[in-house]
Amino acid sequence: MTALLEIRDLHASVGDTPILKGINLTLNAGEVHAIMGPNGSGKSTMSYVLAGRNGYEITGGDVLINGESVLELSPDERARAGMFLAFQYPVELPGVGGMSFLRAAVNARRVEAGEEEVDQLAFVKMVRAKAGELDINDDMLKRAVNVGFSGGEKKRYEILQMALLEPTISILDETDSGLDVDALKIVSDGVNMLRAPERTMLVITHYQRLLNHIVPDHVHILAGGKIRKSGGKELALQVEETGYAGIDDAA
Amino acid sequence: MPALMMQPDLSNVVVSGPVRTAALTAWQQQGWPGPRVESWRFTKLDRLAAREITPASSLSTATAGDGLAMAAGMGAHAIQIVNGVIDPASLEGLPAGVTAGNLSDDQGAQDAMMALAPPNHPVSNLSMAVMSGGLVLDVVGEVARPLMLIFEGDDASLSAHPVVLIRLAPAARMVMAEWHQSAVALSAPLIGLDLAAKASLDFVKIQSEGSTTSHLAATGVSLAGEARLTGFSLSVGGEMARLETHVTMAGEGADCQLSAIYLGRGRQHHDITTVLNHDIGHCTSDQVIRGVLDDRARGVYQGKVRVAEDAQKTDGQQMSRALLLSRKAEVDAKPELEIYADDVVCAHGATVGELDATQLFYLTSRGIPEAKARAMLIEAFLIDAIDSVEIDNLAQILRETATRWMAQTGLTTDGNQHG
Ligand SMILES: Nc1ncnc2c1ncn2[C@@H]1O[C@H](COP(=O)(O)OP(=O)(O)O)[C@@H](O)[C@H]1O
Ligand SMILES: [Mg+2]
Repeated sequence: MTALLEIRDLHASVGDTPILKGINLTLNAGEVHAIMGPNGSGKSTMSYVLAGRNGYEITGGDVLINGESVLELSPDERARAGMFLAFQYPVELPGVGGMSFLRAAVNARRVEAGEEEVDQLAFVKMVRAKAGELDINDDMLKRAVNVGFSGGEKKRYEILQMALLEPTISILDETDSGLDVDALKIVSDGVNMLRAPERTMLVITHYQRLLNHIVPDHVHILAGGKIRKSGGKELALQVEETGYAGIDDAA
Repeated sequence: MPALMMQPDLSNVVVSGPVRTAALTAWQQQGWPGPRVESWRFTKLDRLAAREITPASSLSTATAGDGLAMAAGMGAHAIQIVNGVIDPASLEGLPAGVTAGNLSDDQGAQDAMMALAPPNHPVSNLSMAVMSGGLVLDVVGEVARPLMLIFEGDDASLSAHPVVLIRLAPAARMVMAEWHQSAVALSAPLIGLDLAAKASLDFVKIQSEGSTTSHLAATGVSLAGEARLTGFSLSVGGEMARLETHVTMAGEGADCQLSAIYLGRGRQHHDITTVLNHDIGHCTSDQVIRGVLDDRARGVYQGKVRVAEDAQKTDGQQMSRALLLSRKAEVDAKPELEIYADDVVCAHGATVGELDATQLFYLTSRGIPEAKARAMLIEAFLIDAIDSVEIDNLAQILRETATRWMAQTGLTTDGNQHG
């Protein structure tokens, strides 16, 4: 079976500074992987490199979706190939209406798949239904993208986009940061609803508590730009007890 | 003054009355400002000054521009000014509360116009002297129907010198638009807006001249106590355009919102110059300027806020932002505060940059093709500013004009063509 996402000995630098120093990960269909690691270990950098953001030099290795290298693809091409990144810091877009943004994203995906663009009315219904489950009200939907949203609202809006785009590969970068207990539950439920045999997820987090809600199949510890240790969900509990220092030593 | 500089050719123009004669003398002494005049450092007039042009003198038929359709779309009464000459037929059936008069034989109104007009400005003097058309509009009460001044013209050997003075009586209210779309060599409107106490004017100007036209506009504004002006200019046409506006806050509690957008491509040159004179305290002014430039286009923003010694509690803000879509496009931004009072809140800022890479990445990471993502951000940059216009009709013509420019520049937000 071909992996949905395969990261092979990935090395990446910003300027002359190496940040990712040989990452190997294989995400098969149906699996949820968690990446944990201290601040500055390279988690966000890895998510950006996977999504194809400019400004990183790939100095070695490869990233494959369904067995094909995507390093030459632009961010929009990777997204249309099924990848989605929920940002640690979602970006405000003053003047860009939320609904037209969501529709542009959904239609881009549809056109790629050779489907009809979704019509306005059907789209509004679709968004309302999914927004309701994430406790996102009409007022938020009408505003410019992420403008005037609280930290928690921004995270829920990321999950709404994910729900609408139905990606096969989802990367969630610290989606739990800045969420209170209730919001954490809403977001986790939203994510869990998207778990499916034909999809995979990479859940990046600094804390173990998210993983009580989104229970991973595999847990990896990233430190200093490398995966130091991999295991089952019990590894997350171990980190909770001993901290990253202990794990790092063990590596 | 070298002969080359003395365009347009005024040999056949009859100038009468003391105000216009004085203006002619001033024009003849000063001519077009050269690059050494500080306020004209960024906008050079040598190409214009070298063209052989004569002022228009008689009315010709209107050309088929978009002005009438725009006016109809917003339910406005259209006053047509062709090659700078006012079409008297279009002064019939004015909305209730608006009275038209002839400026060319009204010395008092001419005096008032010159008191408002940007001082020592070539267009103030030249257009007052030539005055191819002169109009005074007196406004009382709340005018139910918007007014649109449509400036057209089809003759590339002509210069147009319309002079329009608009006076709002105390507590009068009006919505009006200026639509400029001509093919004359030089379009040089001189406009005066005189708002009495508590008067209120919502004003939009669209400069959509032909590609070989130079548009040099001089606008003078005076706001009495608690008067309110919300003005928005969109400069998109012409080979070279300078929209210069001078505002005097003449009574406490006056409020002036002045926004402008300039959109340039090819070798277009757009200049937005404003002078805000806070002569008296307790007034507010706010200027939002946005520009988008492609190819080798150039933009200039000069904004001066002057706060007089006694003008305490002044609030004067100005912010200019320009987006450059090409490495060869250029902007000169010069916001200036000249403050002689001590108890004021004033701020200015100017940024020039490319599209935000993080915003672009966010959009493309959702699968939106890069070209469309860029267009969405440019549109947002413009719509965000246009959204401040509260009168729907006015916002609508601004949006339409901006969207049309985007389409012509190859920036389109519809469709999803990719791959
Ligand atoms: N654009 C950048 N320029 C320079 N250094 C960077 C840049 N982005 C990230 N880094 C550095 O790379 C390391 C990893 O950062 P990041 O991926 O944000 O870590 P994490 O998400 O795990 O907290 C940090 O030392 C950070 O300072
Ligand atoms: Mg991070």
